[in-house]
Amino acid sequence: MLSPERRPSMAERRPSFFSFTQNPSPLVVPHLAGIEDPLPATTPDKVDVLIAGTGMVESVLAAALAWQGSNVLHIDKNDYYGDTSATLTVDQIKRWVNEVNEGSVSCYKNAKLYVSTLIGSGKYSSRDFGIDLSPKILFAKSDLLSILIKSRVHQYLEFQSLSNFHTYENDCFEKLTNTKQEIFTDQNLPLMTKRNLMKFIKFVLNWEAQTEIWQPYAERTMSDFLGEKFKLEKPQVFELIFSIGLCYDLNVKVPEALQRIRRYLTSFDVYGPFPALCSKYGGPGELSQGFCRSAAVGGATYKLNEKLVSFNPTTKVATFQDGSKVEVSEKVIISPTQAPKDSKHVPQQQYQVHRLTCIVENPCTEWFNEGESAAMVVFPPGSLKSGNKEVVQAFILGAGSEICPEGTIVWYLSTTEQGPRAEMDIDAALEAMEMALLRESSSGLENDEEIVQLTGNGHTIVNSVKLGQSFKEYVPRERLQFLFKLYYTQYTSTPPFGVVNSSFFDVNQDLEKKYIPGASDNGVIYTTMPSAEISYDEVVTAAKVLYEKIVGSDDDFFDLDFEDEDEIQASGVANAEQFENAIDDDDDVNMEGSGEFVGEMEI
Amino acid sequence: MHGIKRKQWTKELLRQKRVQDEKKIYDYRSLTENVLNMRDEKIYSIEALKKTSELLEKNPEFNAIWNYRRDIIASLASELEIPFWDKELVFVMMLLKDYPKVYWIWNHRLWVLKHYPTSSPKVWQTELAVVNKLLEQDARNYHGWHYRRIVVGNIESITNKSLDKEEFEYTTIKINNNISNYSAWHQRVQIISRMFQKGEVGNQKEYIRTEISYIINAMFTDAEDQSVWFYIKWFIKNDIVCKTLDEQEYLKMLKDLRENILLINNDEIEFSGKQNIWCLKILLVLEDILEEKEALTERSSEQYLVQLIDADPLRKNRYLHLLEQHK
Repeated sequence: MLSPERRPSMAERRPSFFSFTQNPSPLVVPHLAGIEDPLPATTPDKVDVLIAGTGMVESVLAAALAWQGSNVLHIDKNDYYGDTSATLTVDQIKRWVNEVNEGSVSCYKNAKLYVSTLIGSGKYSSRDFGIDLSPKILFAKSDLLSILIKSRVHQYLEFQSLSNFHTYENDCFEKLTNTKQEIFTDQNLPLMTKRNLMKFIKFVLNWEAQTEIWQPYAERTMSDFLGEKFKLEKPQVFELIFSIGLCYDLNVKVPEALQRIRRYLTSFDVYGPFPALCSKYGGPGELSQGFCRSAAVGGATYKLNEKLVSFNPTTKVATFQDGSKVEVSEKVIISPTQAPKDSKHVPQQQYQVHRLTCIVENPCTEWFNEGESAAMVVFPPGSLKSGNKEVVQAFILGAGSEICPEGTIVWYLSTTEQGPRAEMDIDAALEAMEMALLRESSSGLENDEEIVQLTGNGHTIVNSVKLGQSFKEYVPRERLQFLFKLYYTQYTSTPPFGVVNSSFFDVNQDLEKKYIPGASDNGVIYTTMPSAEISYDEVVTAAKVLYEKIVGSDDDFFDLDFEDEDEIQASGVANAEQFENAIDDDDDVNMEGSGEFVGEMEI
Repeated sequence: MHGIKRKQWTKELLRQKRVQDEKKIYDYRSLTENVLNMRDEKIYSIEALKKTSELLEKNPEFNAIWNYRRDIIASLASELEIPFWDKELVFVMMLLKDYPKVYWIWNHRLWVLKHYPTSSPKVWQTELAVVNKLLEQDARNYHGWHYRRIVVGNIESITNKSLDKEEFEYTTIKINNNISNYSAWHQRVQIISRMFQKGEVGNQKEYIRTEISYIINAMFTDAEDQSVWFYIKWFIKNDIVCKTLDEQEYLKMLKDLRENILLINNDEIEFSGKQNIWCLKILLVLEDILEEKEALTERSSEQYLVQLIDADPLRKNRYLHLLEQHK
């Protein structure tokens, strides 16, 4: 059975006759069971590894194992791919919300949905939208990106740049001053602040080696370190910790924060003047499906609508709801959302991530950099009416990302705040964004003069984002048209900043004495739920740890070399050109340029 | 090369590659021989021109072939119409895209433009756009900057209008993009000198003051960037500045600069325990000027030199030598 309603798949969007003019071998997106191909009538009798759940971590793991040579059966109880990472249509979301509230989707609670009549019976159709359950951004220098390239999964995907990161403070959205160019030309920064900021940026790129600078502060908070050692003031401290570092609160310790700030800075200028990328047509939903396709090419078998009922660790036989069975010679890996009935080993998911996803009828182009359709807005602690203690992050995607139609925009808000406060914080952030947008769309042309600033040398700087003014006094004339609002609480075992560590997967692994009589999941390994982390950074770590549990070592994790196939014909084609395919926005990306430009952060 | 994956050559692949390479070498050698023979026989035909194109695409560094190509074009010149010259420019452009740092290609482009049948500013305006594009891609390609000066010079002489102001702004934009652009700072030196000589600056004192705040801004943004310090050194010692400002203003500018440099250096010491070498070097220059003007109240040069010996041991003997002279 195929999914009753879904978005066009990556293979359908780029039909196999699609070809690059110079490229002798046209790129064919491999087909996937349950999407372009029918689901297999029967599943294998015996496999090495059984994976239940097609989320991000499970899919990367499936591809890694398939290419390593393991025989993988990868199933999902849903009729779509993606599981906890899925990209869904509005109708699919409706079904999902019902299932969450019926209690049949574990690890999610308290789902509330509003859908305007304009979707479905009005001018938009449900399939016009692709909503991610756990949206993510991809840093240009990250482990996942190199695996995307190595595995060639990037060829199935299209990416766009993301360069606008805003901090919300005093009812203003400030754009980041984070490049040397911006620091140099900023007319408002005091000279000593410029120097201190640059000093910090140079330090952080190679912070680990400079222990004499940070070690004395190792146990203290990042804001103390920035204030005392670098004499930076609140606006810069907040920018660095929350917008560049994307940290969650002021308690963040020095090494964690340095790590995260460096992630942003080293990603800058790898592919162009932006630190991060977003995949078009959906985030983790697209990426996980891409890895599933790669796994399928590598020999994995895919089956949707397949629910695991039990696993017997003695006979090594897994039983499914339709009565079929499979013998698993190595390991059974299960996403917590796919746990069988009567399971007793599902790890405790004690941390909450609160999410609110809205679709607004407004193009909001002023939030984006020219030619882009994504932005990050961060609400630091204490910046909201609710007196928030934790950050609220808002990831904004416009129609250019192909997840919503022209004239609409998707806001993904989330916070690591726990309990009832979280919803208040998120509401306050939503209100702030709403006010900003209303003020913006009503302000008309008369304000344009304030946007253009004259510099000392007589040339003009156009403030690309018109959100810099305070709008405290502003009374909106009209309300925003919300097409869709989805609120839910997701549970995870990974704390904010938590690293997935190997011992987590030992919970149910060690000895038979840990088996619980009557449990349907003795001897299986559970994966982790996505955490609040807005980047993909945790994915590869988690997949690698699981891989090591199964294979014994992670030495050959994605040890792939596809180069040989077209080596001889394409002798003139450098790797750079393959990178270029990964990026949709030709104008913004200069891969060929000078050698210095690529791969090296130049400050 | 950076960022390019090392290939795992199997024996079979190596054999295939060798076969392909052999063919390439053979083709290249026979083409070279063919073209050089035609040159020696003084054959100046369109056919020969095509052969030179073919060879230059393979090896644009082959200057003898560029010379031969020009001989052919010169001898055919009477028959050649504007579309030919445009096509020639396209050909050169195509090669420049792949080889932006080959002298002979730039040289040939200038020759083509010089012999272009009509001399309208439009042709050179196009060239300006071309060089803008190039400097966008590689802001520090000195071929580009050199070529830019020639292009601008031609536009100026055709239109009889100075472009100094525009060019000065251009260097500002390039420096704003990247402080460490030596070429842009160098261009700035050239243009400022010329603008003052030609009397193109309205309020000269104001100009100098704006420039000095620009410099100080750059110094605070990156006190480790050599190109900024080189510029500062030129700026404080050149005639334009000395003559534009009266003695009092000039001395005040130097003293303000000294204060700021000391501020940066002290901050560096507080932060890392180290001296900033460039701060010390420029402080020395400043003291020399102030001393010459008999405006130095307290002399610290010896102290700076001693600190430099410690901070910059590679040039220790130079500082020792200077220390001797100071005594």
